[in-house]
Amino acid sequence: RIMPVRWSRYNPSYLEPEVKKESHQKPLEELTEEEREQMELKAVRPIKAAPPSLSSSVFSDPMISKFTNMMMKSGNKVLARSLMSQTLEAIKRKQLEKYHKAPENEKETIECNPYVIFHQALKNCQPIIGLSNITRGGKTYQVPVPLTDNRKRFLAMKWLITECRENKHRRTLMPEKLSQELLQAFNNEGPVIKRKHVLHKMAEANRAYAHFRWW
Amino acid sequence: MAAPAYPAWVTRWVSGQWRNKKRPPALRPPRTLALADKVANRREQSTEATCITEMSVMMACWKQNDFNDAPCAEEIRTFYDCVAKAEKERKNQNEDTLSSRGNLPSSKVNKLLKRFPQITHYV
Repeated sequence: RIMPVRWSRYNPSYLEPEVKKESHQKPLEELTEEEREQMELKAVRPIKAAPPSLSSSVFSDPMISKFTNMMMKSGNKVLARSLMSQTLEAIKRKQLEKYHKAPENEKETIECNPYVIFHQALKNCQPIIGLSNITRGGKTYQVPVPLTDNRKRFLAMKWLITECRENKHRRTLMPEKLSQELLQAFNNEGPVIKRKHVLHKMAEANRAYAHFRWW
Repeated sequence: MAAPAYPAWVTRWVSGQWRNKKRPPALRPPRTLALADKVANRREQSTEATCITEMSVMMACWKQNDFNDAPCAEEIRTFYDCVAKAEKERKNQNEDTLSSRGNLPSSKVNKLLKRFPQITHYV
């Protein structure tokens, strides 16, 4: 019987699949030593099956896919993906409107690429330091702790999504609200950035407990 | 009137305990005076927190600039570098060699001692 588990059931000798087209089209002479060794290893070892979310197209972005997965509810990937594309379209429309209304000298400063806006907004939302509960002598303290990259990305995306789901008017749709939040985060304003600042302020207030960490 | 408080030896003397030669035993039989093949289980002292100076510098910068990230980019970068270094250090640290404070955990010491036991008999 096969039981569902959370970790991978592949043998550790299986290698990850290489999806990028550029790495396969490189001629043999241009490869460095390590890449040659890597190619020889791949000729001998088995390779894992590529998951359906991994794609080699130029339009796919791992961060956008991760964000879509987090927005998805009860496995409805179609709906989540359509919401994401509508969000990106809404961002593009708003930026284009601003672009055409702006005077000539300001036209270069306006960013119209929704992917760039998305990435920059996420980067602006990522907290730099987090709080973790550490128990000492019966009392639990909130200790400031450095976070890993994955955790920062996850927190930024989670805050954005919860903000969009809870604090909106009953009639506004998700793409509209998300595009608004992303544009605000791109300009370092808005409720998500405020939440990040609140976290930083709490970490700063508790900096005396930083010695409770043991890692 | 409350009971008057006499020192302990007065109460002992009055009760007649010492007259019956009831004294605490002078020496109990000690354990065998020889080295054992194991060390007592001592709680491993945890390492200190890393990167505290960088963190405090970054927080001072935040306080001055109202928690904006743009003016503090340099401090944030140094903090990230320190964190990455500490993480790598933790990963590479091997428990068989001495830890940063020069102590081996008691379980490892016991394993070593078991391999080379104390010889207590002649053959």
